[in-house]
Parts: sequence; structure tokens; C-alpha cells
Amino acid sequence: MSVRPAGDFKTTYVRDMALLDTVFYRVGFALLLAALLAAPLVLGRYLFLLNTIGIFALGAVGLSLLTGFAGQISLGHSAFMAIGAYASWYVTTRLGAPFPAALAFAGAATFAVGAIVGLPSLRIKGLYLAIATMAFQFITEYVVIHTAGGMGGTVVPSASLFGVQIRTETQFYYLLLPIWVAGGVFAANLVRGRVGLALMAVRDRDYAAQVLGVNLLRYKTLAFALGASYAGVAGSLFAHYNRVIGAEHFTILQSIDFIAMIVIGGLTSIWGPHLGAALVILLNQGLRYVTPSLVTLLPTFARAATPLREIVFGALLIGLLIWEPGGLAMLFRKLKRYMDLWPFPH
Amino acid sequence: MTLHFVLEGTLVGLAVGSIYALIALGFALLYKSTKILNLAHGEMVLFGGYLAIALTRSLDLPVWMAFALAVAGTLAAAAALGFVVERGIMRPLYGQSLLSVIIVTLALGYIIRGLMVGLWGGDTRQFPPVVPTGVVRLGDLIVPQVGIYSAAVALVLLVGFSLFFRYSLVGIAMRAAANEQLTASALGVSLKRVFAYAWAFAAIAASFGGILLGLWLGVNFALDYVGLKALAAVILGGLDSIPGAILGGFIIGVLENILGAYIDAHVVLFGVTLHGFKEITPFVVILLVLLIRPYGLFGTEHIERL
Repeated sequence: MSVRPAGDFKTTYVRDMALLDTVFYRVGFALLLAALLAAPLVLGRYLFLLNTIGIFALGAVGLSLLTGFAGQISLGHSAFMAIGAYASWYVTTRLGAPFPAALAFAGAATFAVGAIVGLPSLRIKGLYLAIATMAFQFITEYVVIHTAGGMGGTVVPSASLFGVQIRTETQFYYLLLPIWVAGGVFAANLVRGRVGLALMAVRDRDYAAQVLGVNLLRYKTLAFALGASYAGVAGSLFAHYNRVIGAEHFTILQSIDFIAMIVIGGLTSIWGPHLGAALVILLNQGLRYVTPSLVTLLPTFARAATPLREIVFGALLIGLLIWEPGGLAMLFRKLKRYMDLWPFPH
Repeated sequence: MTLHFVLEGTLVGLAVGSIYALIALGFALLYKSTKILNLAHGEMVLFGGYLAIALTRSLDLPVWMAFALAVAGTLAAAAALGFVVERGIMRPLYGQSLLSVIIVTLALGYIIRGLMVGLWGGDTRQFPPVVPTGVVRLGDLIVPQVGIYSAAVALVLLVGFSLFFRYSLVGIAMRAAANEQLTASALGVSLKRVFAYAWAFAAIAASFGGILLGLWLGVNFALDYVGLKALAAVILGGLDSIPGAILGGFIIGVLENILGAYIDAHVVLFGVTLHGFKEITPFVVILLVLLIRPYGLFGTEHIERL
């Protein structure tokens, strides 16, 4: 995909490495930001969709750093989200800290936990690491159920910023948007810089990376810590958005959803987690919306309707992995290339 | 922890463990011959239990005859499921990265569970009374009668499977492929066929486990959790060791019934009772094994120092 617009000569390294390297991307990104800023005016009561997408996209960015770029499979991503959510709850209710402090604390706490959970990744890899993170997920679920009130029952106060109580969807959206964009841009910058290159070297072959002078201990734990930290921030935001948290929000199914997001979006793309989160959330809500009308059309369909989501998700994942392992991001890239050359095939 | 508690826990644990061992056998077999960790194995257990119950109930015959036919039908369906999965989903993905394969098996599990729950609902379903429900008393130890039957069946199956791998042509081909894929392939073993058989056998073993567990406890949407216990058994025994998987199954069964149940009822940590600890015993075992001896009791030691 090295097609460049005619006349776009890169004369400096800075320009070559720019995140938005052509006019098309710069204008496109500006338009996207403007659209996101204006979204509450258009979306009305559907703004909750964008809020949910933003929260889970942040978490998914973390998982894509960890799994997509550093190659460490984690089946316990929602456990980090749980830790962030409960850390935020503890700090705001028990210690009376303001929301920004709670958010920062959630990020820092999960950064530390992530680094500790990531330590075994030096000894065990691949399959074994996936299984170990799954065990971590189940044990975290167990601890949450037995220490922090369990199912559905922990009430979190609404966030407040500069003395403003953030209660409505619109207020929360304008709180979330800067964090979401900053998180996305930070990850994109990380990936093109030294850290990202080191992570990708570790992913491709950790032996070779070490020979080239990449400190494995440092970068593997860093990948886990960063991924966990994103999930923790997402968890904190989720807690103050939903205002009720329980073990059922952070199950293994949520972890699998995170994996679905980054796979559907595209594993090694900085846009992937955002696209994937958007698709997964929209699909979730869409199925929830479509199902009742399907049931009224076909009453016999009623019982099959509950697990419809699982079947559609499973089929979507398998289909994508067989036919387009690059995910949505790769589809977009192919579409753009096709449009660049249209109407000629080459 | 009285002696009585330990002995009874051991007996019940061995009975459940024999079923875990059967399920774990399928798991290890599949990993050994295809190097795929099948995270949909629990859903295959679910598949067996649900299908057998539905068939038994729908057949208008004497109970035992309906049950026998249902078991035969379920196993045939499981074999077909294995072949379909291998041909339709796994073959296009050979050579893909580990992550893709893991995710595909997760997605497969989603689909199987979705279909089963969609067809028959998520509530606990029971077999019609096929086997007697009483208890057996050995001295003052009490074991459910179903447990003894299912343990006996599981043992017979375990022996049958090992004889099959030892003496039949397909079994020998599968062992050869598991041992050294390239050499086996050069000597005329069709790897595609071996992989297909591996999936079919894994599905059969899992389904049989589902039927036995269904006889004992009934079947509901959460049965796939058993697949994770089998995973713990396999990790403990060594991922690519079949005897290890069987032994691991027994050990997990006994551990969960003695240690898990004991901690469940008696241990209080920081003023919190550890109720439900039995359910996560397998994962604690997994973490400990991975920390101390990642290749398990009998697995191939693959040392890579970094």
C-alpha cells in the first residue's frame, strides 16, 4: 500500500514519519474531529452509543498495544478494567477524592498491576500465556464477587469536574472525548516511536529482538502495564458513566469482546481498535433493537433470539479471520487504494 | 479436615475426575496432533449433553432404548461436528498465527453454545430416569450411584481409546503424526485426514463427557465451564501428554472435592469466607503449574531461556 498522491514528495524524515502524512488524511482527521465535537447536536438520545464506544475503544486501544503490537495474547483484559473501575470507586467513595484524581489513580494502579501480571510473560509464552491471563481473569472475577459487593451492587458517584456534576450524556461526552482522542493519539505516537518499534520486534521474534538490544523484561512488562493502564482508565470512566458496577460487567465474555474488537478492527492498525469497538457496540445495540421486531414477525423465533448475539459474533469473527485477517482497517485501506486508481485496475 | 471427609472427597473426586479425564483426553489428543488449543472444547461438552437429552426425550420408546439410541446419535453427531469444524473452519487457517486460531475456537464456542441454548433454552435439563438415583454406602462413606456408573463408563472408554491408539491403523497414523508431522507425512500419512480424525475424536470424547455429566447433574448453559476444568487437567498433566491429561483429570477432581470444598467451608481470610472457592480451584492450579512447571507433569520439556 505504498501508493502516494502524485507530487507528494517527502523531503524530510519528519514529514515521512508524520502521523497524518497527506492532505487527504489531514483534512479527513480535522473533519472527523469536527464531526465528533458536533455529534451531540445530531445524535440526540443516541449519544449513549458514542459514549459507550468511546469507553470501550479506549480499552481496546490498550489491548491492541498489548496483543496487536507486542504480540502478547491476553484473555483477561476486562479484569484490568474491573480493577480500574473498583480503584476509582474506592478512591472517590472511601477517600473522598475528586474525579480527576480517581481517574489518574485508576490508570496508575492498573499500570502497576499490569506490570506484575506481565512478569510471567518472560517465562511463559503463546498458548500458556493466554491460559495464564484467563486464569487471572477468573480469579479477579472471584475476588470482585467476594470483596467488593459482588453482582450488580456497587454504586459509584457521578463524576464532577471543576465543581460541575457530570450527569447528562452530553456532559459526559465532552468529558470523555478529550480523553479518548488523547489516548488514541498517544498510542499512535507510541507505535511509530522507539517503544512501538521495540514492541513489534518482540512480537515478531523475541529472541531476535533481544539480540538487537531490546530489553525484553522492560518492553514485555511495559506492554502489559500500558495495555492494563488503558483498560483501567476505561474502567474508571465506565464506573462513573454507568454509576453501578458489578462483577457481571467484567466477565470473561467482556474480555472476549475486547479481543473481538481488535480483531474485527484490525490487529496492527492504530485505527483498528476504534473501528472494532464501534462495530461491536453498534452490532450489540442493533441486535438488541432488531430482535423484538423479529420476534413479533416470527413468534417461534423467540427462544432463539437470546443467543442470537453470540451466534452472529462467532460467525463474524470466523468469517473475518478466514477472509480478511487484517480486519476493517485493511478493508478501508483496500477501498482507498481501489478508489485512488479507479476506474483502472492498476 | 477429618479422615471421613478426605475419604469421601477422594471417592467423589475420583468419580468426577474420571469424567474430567475423559474430556481432558479429547483436549490433549487434539493439541497433540494439531497443536491447536481448542477453547470450544467446553461447548462441545455442552453439545453432547444437550443433544443426548433432547434425543432421549423425543424418542417414543422405552427409556433405556431411547437413551441408547440417543447416545449413539449424539456420538455420530459429535463426529460429524468434528469433521465439519476441521473442514470448514480450521483447514483455511492452517499456518495462521496462534492468536487467530485461539480466537476462531472461541468464536466456534460462541456459535455452538448459541445454537444449543437457542434450540433448547438455558435452564437446567435432566435426563429421564435412565440410571437409578440412589446412593451407595461403603462403610459410612456415601457416594451417589450415578457417580459409580459414570466412573465405570469413563474408565472403559479411557481403556478403549488407549487400545485404539495402540493397535488400530488410524490410531497409529495419528500417533505418528503427533510425534513428527513432517516424517509421518513423508511416509504416507495423510495429515488432513489425521487432523479431521483428531477433531472428530475430540468432539466424541467431549460429548461423552457431557452425557455422563448430564446423567449426574443435569445440563444447563453453564456446562461449558467444565471445559475449563479439563483445560486445567491438561495443563497439569502436560499439554501434549495423553496419560498426563488422564491423571490430571483425576487430580483436579480430587483436589476440587477435598481442598476446594474444605476451603469453601472452613477457611476465613481477612474476615471474608471463601465461599465458592471450589469453582476457581482449577484456575489456581493452572497458575501454580504455569509458574512452577509450565510443561506440566509429563509434557515435553521445551526450554527456551531469555
